[in-house]
Amino acid sequence: MKKRPAWIVSLVTWPIVLLIAFPLLWMLITSIKPAAELFSTSPTLLPKAITFEHYARVLQDTPFLQYFANSMILATSTTVVVISISVLGAYSLVRFAYPGRETLASLVLFTYLLPSVVLISPLYLMLVSIGLANTLASLVIAYTSFALPYALWLLRSFMAGIPQDLESAAMVDGASRMGAFIDVVLPQALPGIISTALFTFILAWNEYLYALVLVNSDEARPLTTGVMTMLISAFNIEWSLLMAASVLMSVPLIIIFAFFQRHLTSGFGAGGVKG
Amino acid sequence: MVQVVFEKVSKAYGDTVAIPGLDLMIESGEFVSLLGPSGCGKSTTLRMLAGLEQPTSGNIRIGDRDVVNLAPAARDIAMVFQSYALYPHMTVAENICYPLKKRGVAKADRAIKLAEVAALLQLEPLLARKPGQLSGGQQQRVALGRALVREPSVFLLDEPLSNLDASLRAHMRAELIELHRRLGKTMVYVTHDQLEAMTMSSRIAVMRAGELQQFAPPDEIYNRPANVFVAGFIGTPAMALADGSLADGGGHLVVHVGPLAVALPYAAAARPAAVTVGIRPEDVLVGEGPWQAQVRLVEPTGYETIVALDAGGLALTARVPGSKALRVGETVPFDLRRERIHLFDKSDGRRWKPAGR
Repeated sequence: MKKRPAWIVSLVTWPIVLLIAFPLLWMLITSIKPAAELFSTSPTLLPKAITFEHYARVLQDTPFLQYFANSMILATSTTVVVISISVLGAYSLVRFAYPGRETLASLVLFTYLLPSVVLISPLYLMLVSIGLANTLASLVIAYTSFALPYALWLLRSFMAGIPQDLESAAMVDGASRMGAFIDVVLPQALPGIISTALFTFILAWNEYLYALVLVNSDEARPLTTGVMTMLISAFNIEWSLLMAASVLMSVPLIIIFAFFQRHLTSGFGAGGVKG
Repeated sequence: MVQVVFEKVSKAYGDTVAIPGLDLMIESGEFVSLLGPSGCGKSTTLRMLAGLEQPTSGNIRIGDRDVVNLAPAARDIAMVFQSYALYPHMTVAENICYPLKKRGVAKADRAIKLAEVAALLQLEPLLARKPGQLSGGQQQRVALGRALVREPSVFLLDEPLSNLDASLRAHMRAELIELHRRLGKTMVYVTHDQLEAMTMSSRIAVMRAGELQQFAPPDEIYNRPANVFVAGFIGTPAMALADGSLADGGGHLVVHVGPLAVALPYAAAARPAAVTVGIRPEDVLVGEGPWQAQVRLVEPTGYETIVALDAGGLALTARVPGSKALRVGETVPFDLRRERIHLFDKSDGRRWKPAGR
């Protein structure tokens, strides 16, 4: 293939990058502008004065930290539950022969195809009847119910790519089946596990609809719905605070991405090709 | 002394019977090859011995222990896989030490063992590398090292050389022979390559469709194949096989095959009605003799030339010295080494031994 000059590539890519990044940039700029500057009739791109008062207010005067902790607990527990179940489940689907194995795998995928709105009401009623309504646990269950199928399929394609000889060798070398699983299968599946965990974490962190319907107390509210309800009222939208909170909300994901980006891209790529 | 014994071992996958019933006794310290075409059940046999497959019925013993219900880890075996099955995330040293670690060998003792094996297989410079950074031959040696390090009572090798290129394969063959001589351990070797089986084994078990055809030392397999299958399977180029009949030629036996009537140095006592006649290429002597054949194909290999002959409808193959110039279409006289003609009873395919032999 003929190599295109670098400046043509830049000419095409940078406008696209700016287009996508602009809302994020605007969010950042708005969050550090003084409130007076926000509504000036000639909007400016760069703030004339920089202030961090909105951040201070979000952290001190609002239940932001409570929501943040809720979101952290929620996303982490969902990830732990989903990964524990899907790693074992995917291994079972790949390695053990039992009747209905393929049907089971397809059924699992089928649940993933249903729009989540359809499942809200039945799920809500079920959670109420087992006394979990309005708790973080109810959201963990709800998120697990739609993150798990995808996680299973993603991990299944990863595990299918691990040669069975490796486990056989480990078992001949003195490991039990569980030992072989831990010593050989898990390390081999690690990129897949990491990308599946990231996917689950991001999904739980950003989820809005279920959080809105299933939870309505500050004790259990995650960031997505919490920030909205605290700053958007019928009469007023606190734009500066909203933007500051949004920046703070994005920080954990950005940090995680920075650390695991390599795994995420390689993971999704490998899983996709092999599946 | 450790023996490996298969007693009426069968294996079925659903309705498909892979191995109908295998009896095999391997003596201590033997190098036994399981040889056969793909799908003959040789790998299944080895995997049952390793405990990676469960026999449908029958018994397997290693030494004086019944192992059928033992996990692979409890059988005191080591196995080298065709794919080598090295653990990609571990270094060479960790790979080799893994069986020791799993058996709770102390760290200091592991280091000693590792050093021994590394020296034996010349792996010292590679110990810190990962398998992905090694060549095929080096991976092969690491796989061997991982099997050797624990000093198991039986070594199982599943086509360990088939992923190597030809020259490396010849080299590793020699190394395996040397290794077996030095260790004196029982080794069970699965291969579809008769050259590997012939050169390395003390005995070869020839298998076909899950059934043992012959279990004997290489020279016996070659010189006295037990049936038509073994006769045709062993030897390159293959033995010529043709239908024939036996007759009484005035007291001695005469075999009629194609247009030839070959008097054999045996008494014409009781004999089967119809036979399959087998003639190895080296037993066809081209140059002079009572019969004539037309040259159909000439394949020079350097040292010798393989010649396909047509003796009035009977297809024969001959080996002639590479210096001998033959042209396709030419008619040449030939003779046969009569005492080396193989006869098989046509009714059951088994080797038929004339009286007085």
